[in-house]
Amino acid sequence: MEHLASGNETAAIAAKMSRASCMPVFPITPQTEIIETLARWKANGELNAEFFTMDSEHSVMSAAVGCSATGARTFTATSSQGLTLMNEILFIASGMRLPIVMANVSRGLSAPITLWSDHTDFLNQKGDGWVQVHAQDNQEVFDSLVMAFKISEDRKVLLPSMVNLDGYVLSYTKEPIDVPTQKEIDKFLPPYKPKHAFFKPNKPLIQGAAVLKPEAYTYFRGQHHLANLNALEVIQEVCKDFKKKFGRDYGNGLIEEYKTNDADVIIVTQGSISTTAKAAVNEMRKGGRRKTKVGLLRLRTITPWPHKEVAKALQGAKHIAVFEKNVSPGRGGLMMSDLKASLYDHTKKKPIITEFVMGLGGSPESIQMFKHGVKLAKKDRKGEVHWLG
Amino acid sequence: MAKYQKFKDIPDENLLEGGSFSCAGCGGELGLKLALKVLGEDTIVVNASGCMTLLSNWPTSPLKVPFIHSAIENAASTATGIRHALKALNREMNILCYAGDGATYDIGFQSLSGAASRGDDMVYVCYNNSCFGNTGNQWSTATPKFARTTTSPPGSESHGNALSRKDMAKIMGAHGCYSATASTALPLDFMRKVEKARKYKGLGFVDLLVNCPTNWGFEPKEGIDIVMKAVFTGIWPLYEVENGMMTINYDPGPGKFQPVKNFLKGQQRFRHLTKKDIAEIQKDVDKEWELYRGGKYWQTDEY
Repeated sequence: MEHLASGNETAAIAAKMSRASCMPVFPITPQTEIIETLARWKANGELNAEFFTMDSEHSVMSAAVGCSATGARTFTATSSQGLTLMNEILFIASGMRLPIVMANVSRGLSAPITLWSDHTDFLNQKGDGWVQVHAQDNQEVFDSLVMAFKISEDRKVLLPSMVNLDGYVLSYTKEPIDVPTQKEIDKFLPPYKPKHAFFKPNKPLIQGAAVLKPEAYTYFRGQHHLANLNALEVIQEVCKDFKKKFGRDYGNGLIEEYKTNDADVIIVTQGSISTTAKAAVNEMRKGGRRKTKVGLLRLRTITPWPHKEVAKALQGAKHIAVFEKNVSPGRGGLMMSDLKASLYDHTKKKPIITEFVMGLGGSPESIQMFKHGVKLAKKDRKGEVHWLG
Repeated sequence: MAKYQKFKDIPDENLLEGGSFSCAGCGGELGLKLALKVLGEDTIVVNASGCMTLLSNWPTSPLKVPFIHSAIENAASTATGIRHALKALNREMNILCYAGDGATYDIGFQSLSGAASRGDDMVYVCYNNSCFGNTGNQWSTATPKFARTTTSPPGSESHGNALSRKDMAKIMGAHGCYSATASTALPLDFMRKVEKARKYKGLGFVDLLVNCPTNWGFEPKEGIDIVMKAVFTGIWPLYEVENGMMTINYDPGPGKFQPVKNFLKGQQRFRHLTKKDIAEIQKDVDKEWELYRGGKYWQTDEY
């Protein structure tokens, strides 16, 4: 059924229809509308879940750990400062192998404080061991959240998932979304029956035990790493299954390639700026004699990082223009090191990569900006860095 | 009549077995053992990082009940999540938060205050050895005046901890929930309070003073005697707060308490105290009891 919904409403619909039974929450802009929507449904008797407001995001993630460790399907949402406040417990949630699903509505980090979107908040969490997916539009927010439960709860994975959507651009923008029936969702995502996380009388199960033997600690970290690598395969399986049931195609679910086959220049993006970048690709491909063969690689799965797929998509390009809506001061964009590592490991050719730090704190992005970027990338001989906006 | 009137009322079964990694003469472990005798095997223990976390050192554990450890500052929040999940799954179990004083008075206070204010159903026992013990005796807001810790050491410019301890049981009582103080020297009193906290619909709080030979500096066998003296000198008042009403559990009467020096002597952490320091502590304790006896428990301007 077609709905007209904001990104936030979409996330709330997905959480409800996935039958998450526990939802610890705390408000933060631009995520708040998600929990307000759920609260309204709860008040009207339309939401069959434990919905409760905690005293901070740190407590939200702590409660989520408690919920999931008890065996309940758990959903929450956050943004920016909230995500960084959760930081400590994010590592605990993944280390305890709890399949919590969280929507993160991306917003730049303080200081200076901002409300607008950029990707620094969740890319800063690259090391926390969660599975991370980044949606480009509201339909993908819905689909990714439903799929996230299935990926997280898979026995080969058993890790929490974060689905990222851009603040304001998606969170407050209404788009038409196709929502399957509850019956269809239930068939795709059956009830959660944990075998590893539960509390029962007469079952002395220790969750979060101290592991003081270094070799044992290394073993557990190794298992965590393998589980995250397993997600590379499980994401593909789930996306395939999703396509079969609902018709929407996310390819391998790891990356999206747009007109990259014959491309001389490949734009690399993630999130909602990808849709603008695709429009730029189309315009540049028209242009008569001055046309440029441009393609686009969209990074959809952020963790685990799909090295092979990224390298394969980029290997034919002469120029690569990476548009990063984030920055790590002293390092640059947070995707660059991963991207370069992929190329180093999996290709012989070393194309020139031009980096654009843009869209910070909600700086506007436009078709013109991508065109300008491609022009600069084509002239680049040494791997320049440009700040746009 | 309330349960646990006589020692023979204490169940024999231990849900916390021996052979753990805790220090000889650990009052924290004793407190957990006693609390589990009250709550039974249908109990989930939620632990804050600290000494009791090391009871379970993978792959062994002395516990016969489910146990979860997440971080130091979030035992109450974790327990809130568990309570809601049990409800969602249509299950009923006791939840015991067992957290040290640093994890309760200081770093975990927001989480605890939140759970108490929301009325989330759990028993919260603070095993109080009056310092960050597992890290090796650092100052917490539960540390008594003039006590030596490694971060409040005495020296030419210092008499040890310059501050009075935080009155946590009062703060929790002010949340409107069941709140009590206890000592490992008086197990029946403690167990009755755990039972009351269990029955209380919401967060029931017990601040349990536990003997800590390692950080207070005494022989393990002297531990119970020392926490007994904490009660008998009046420096650790035993009381309960129910519906905002405070009840004193032990008061021999004005002038009948032992002098505080009986508690202070024999502990390394107080060895540097001068006569003047001891007199100041005595004055503080006398003043506190004057307020209690005068029905002025909630009066705070004296502190």
